[in-house]
Parts: sequence; C-alpha cells; structure tokens
Amino acid sequence: MAVGRSIGAKMIVNAELFVNDLPGQLIGSIEPISMVDGNILGVVHNRDRIVDHRICVNVTFEVGDRQLERLKELWKARDIVISSLGSVHETYTMDYILIGDVNAQYIEGLLKKINEATTLDEVNVSYSSKSVRTASHTSLITVKARYEDNLDKIDAILRRECKKANVTYVRGV
Amino acid sequence: MKAFICGFGTIGQSVAKVIAAKQDFFSKRYGETLIVVGALDSKTYVCNPNGLNAEEIIEAKKKTGCVGDKKYTDIKEALDSVDFDILIEVTSTDIKTGGVGLENIRYALQNGKDVVTANKGPLALKYKELTTLADEHGRYLLFEGTVGGAMPIINLNKYDLAGQDIKSIRGIFNGTCNYILTKMDSGQPFEQALKEAQQQGYAETDPTNDVEGYDSACKVVILANSIFGRNATFSDVDITGITSINSDAVALAQNNGMVIRLIGEVSATKLEVAPRLIPRGHPLSLPGTLNTAEIITEYAGPITVSGVGAGGPETASAILSDIIDIMDERIGD
Repeated sequence: MAVGRSIGAKMIVNAELFVNDLPGQLIGSIEPISMVDGNILGVVHNRDRIVDHRICVNVTFEVGDRQLERLKELWKARDIVISSLGSVHETYTMDYILIGDVNAQYIEGLLKKINEATTLDEVNVSYSSKSVRTASHTSLITVKARYEDNLDKIDAILRRECKKANVTYVRGV
Repeated sequence: MKAFICGFGTIGQSVAKVIAAKQDFFSKRYGETLIVVGALDSKTYVCNPNGLNAEEIIEAKKKTGCVGDKKYTDIKEALDSVDFDILIEVTSTDIKTGGVGLENIRYALQNGKDVVTANKGPLALKYKELTTLADEHGRYLLFEGTVGGAMPIINLNKYDLAGQDIKSIRGIFNGTCNYILTKMDSGQPFEQALKEAQQQGYAETDPTNDVEGYDSACKVVILANSIFGRNATFSDVDITGITSINSDAVALAQNNGMVIRLIGEVSATKLEVAPRLIPRGHPLSLPGTLNTAEIITEYAGPITVSGVGAGGPETASAILSDIIDIMDERIGD
C-alpha cells in the first residue's frame, strides 16, 4: 500500500558539498536528492577546488521544505561535508485592488486580520497617486504566501471585510 | 425540414440569410433542404408552408418595421399557423422573467418541436425545467449561441472534450464590458468609455445588464448547467459588475503590468462574475469586444478559445451549428 507523504512547500536550494576524491562519490552526493523526491536543476563538479582531499560539488535542486532535514542526514551518513546551504522558497503571489474608502488605517486593519489568520511571507501596499487627495482611495495589495491554502484564507477574509465596508475588491487570477 | 424563426431582429434576419445561403450544403449533406416557413417579430408574423423568401421578408422588415402583415395577440396562434420541425428562438433576452422566449420554448417542446436558441434568459432561469421538458418529449434543445456568440464553447466541451473532467472555465463573456475596460486602459474614464460603447452600438441605451455583470452571469449559469451538470440558476451567481472600476484602479493595475477584465468563472463549486486583475499577455487580457474562455481540462490542460461574442452573422454561425446537429440526428449525415 502506498503511503502519502507530505513534502511541504517547494523550495529551491543551492548546496556546496565536499566529497571524497574517489570513484562514485559524485553520484553518491546527488543520489540522496532523488531519495527525498528532489528535482536536480544543476550540478557543477569543481575538481579545481580541493580541501582536505575532498572535491567540491555545487548542486542546485528543488525540494519540499519538510524533506531538507532528512536530506542533510543522508549526506552526513555518506560522509559528505555540507559546506554551505542556501535556499529560496517558492511563494504564491496574489494581487488585490481595493476601491472605496480604503485609507492607510483601513488597510493596516485588514492586514492585521489577515496576519491573525494566516502567515504571509511578504506584503506590499501601494496607493494610486491621485488617491492621496481624494476621499475615495484605490490601493493595490500584493501578498506572497508560502502555501497556496494561505491565499484562499486571505481571499476569504478580504472578500468578507470588503463586503462589510462596501469596498470593491478586484483580485488576480 | 422546416424552421420557424421567432424574433426577427439582427440575429433573426442573419439566421434567415444564412439558411438561404446554405441550401446547397443542406441538399448535399441530407438530400433535402431546410426551409423557413414562418417568421415572427414583436407584433406581426408571416408564414408560408412552401418556404419564405429570406430577402423579401428582410426587405419587408426594413421598409415597414414588420416582418409580416398578420398581427397576433398570442404567439401560440402564430406558431400554430404552420407546420414546422425546428423553432429558432431569438427573441430579445429577459433575464428577470425569461420573457416570451421562455413561453415560446416551452410551447414548442410541448408540441414536439426541436428548439435552437440564442436567448440566454430562459436557460439562465429555467434550465432544468426546459431540458427535462425536451427529454420528456424526445426533442432537442440546443443553445450554442447563448454563450460567446461565434465562439464555440458548449459544443466544444460536449463533443471534442467529451469524457474529460472539466476542472474550470473562466472567460470574458461580455464584449461590451471588455470594450469599456479596454478604453479605460488608454485613460478614458468609465462614463466616457460607456458613452463611446453606446455610440458604437456595443452597449444598449440601458447598459445595466452588461455593466452590472448580469449578462455574463447568465452565461456562467448556462455553462455550469450544461457542462458541469449543475442545477444552478441566475440567483446563485456571485456577481460584481464594473461600475465601480475607476481610472485610478486601472492605472494602478497598469503600473504593475496588469489590466482589469470582467471575468466569469465556473467550476463544480464556483459561480462568479467579477472584475479581475489579469497580467498583460495572459489569454484573458484580450482587448476589444472579443469573448474568450480558458477551459482547464483533465488531460489536455488549458484550452483557450476566442471569438466575436455578439452580432447577427456571428450568432447565426452558432445557430447554424446547432441546426446541423439536429438535422444530423433527425435525418443522418
């Protein structure tokens, strides 16, 4: 019976590894990535960079964030030295334009409600230049979330709050 | 076979022309022709069991404002005046009650006629009732022309994508709103863009059905029922129109590489019409009066179709495909 496994949000990782200068070590360093359902995007076998009789392998791959710890253990078990590990999370972006009585205070309140319900990686708010002087404001909110489900939660909150405040809410696709 | 055209405005006249122009096609395909034996407008009707001359009745309509010289008080009286096989129902849409179109379709199906329609109102309000009625009487009720005019979408899903799960359909289903929003992209305020749409003949004097999203909502309901097998009606659609979209919002979207478009979206769980932010270059960012739909399919991924969403010849092309569908079934190709 197959058992489903949650891999978490996808992230792109760049790892600098040092492997023993022996046949099969390069394959041995990238094989664990496949074992954690990772997707290798690029490999550089840098034979000019040798430290303590070990050769540098630079590998970039995509992997679920919940699999990273297991991958590190697999490398350690194979006597592979992890010199550096840098990651970039894939995020889901959604844009919203709000039209109506939406001043900075209102937007701040909205973002507070969103933050209470879910986690945002990044939020950007901009206002139309004209809106600074007029009663009716137009603002663009761009949110970045690590999980797609979070966008659904944000969407539901904005929909509900905008309806309550008679604010027109235009979301992305 | 014999057809009766109910409604003799731009679409009805175009259908008459197209049927007249396709006589050779019908003869070759079926060994018989399709003749129009009756035509009716809001006040008068004309019929001839041997077939009407399309040019003559169009000319009469243009000259006198009436398609025929017989006046009627009850449409049934006109429909009963001549024997026919297919009712082509193209009276104007009434999305509040279904209008005369609903009565005509009911009457035709109950009396053993196949029906082809481009009238959204009856289907947006009484889809289940009408399709059940058609089934009970062993009749066809086809309506490709109700969504997207010339853009093939209902038959595309029914035939070419048959068997696949359709995950969602979202699209631009109202050319008038798209024209207005495209004009706003170039800096025009809403009111001016609407006025221009009216001057160009894209928007009605009362543009409510278009700009409030009601017209798109009718199409979303028809897609939900015919493609997703839902039992939805007009009141189930979450509708936001474009009247509150201002120049600020359009400019803000533009500065961030996006445009605003009125999008209808339908899936197994969603029924919505709302202005949406679309990245420039996305298939749904289409400018002008065109309609477009993005169909997300089980195996084929996204499929995008687009076409002219309204107009006489364009809607007549959708009606022609439904007529052929019926003739294929009734006579065999």
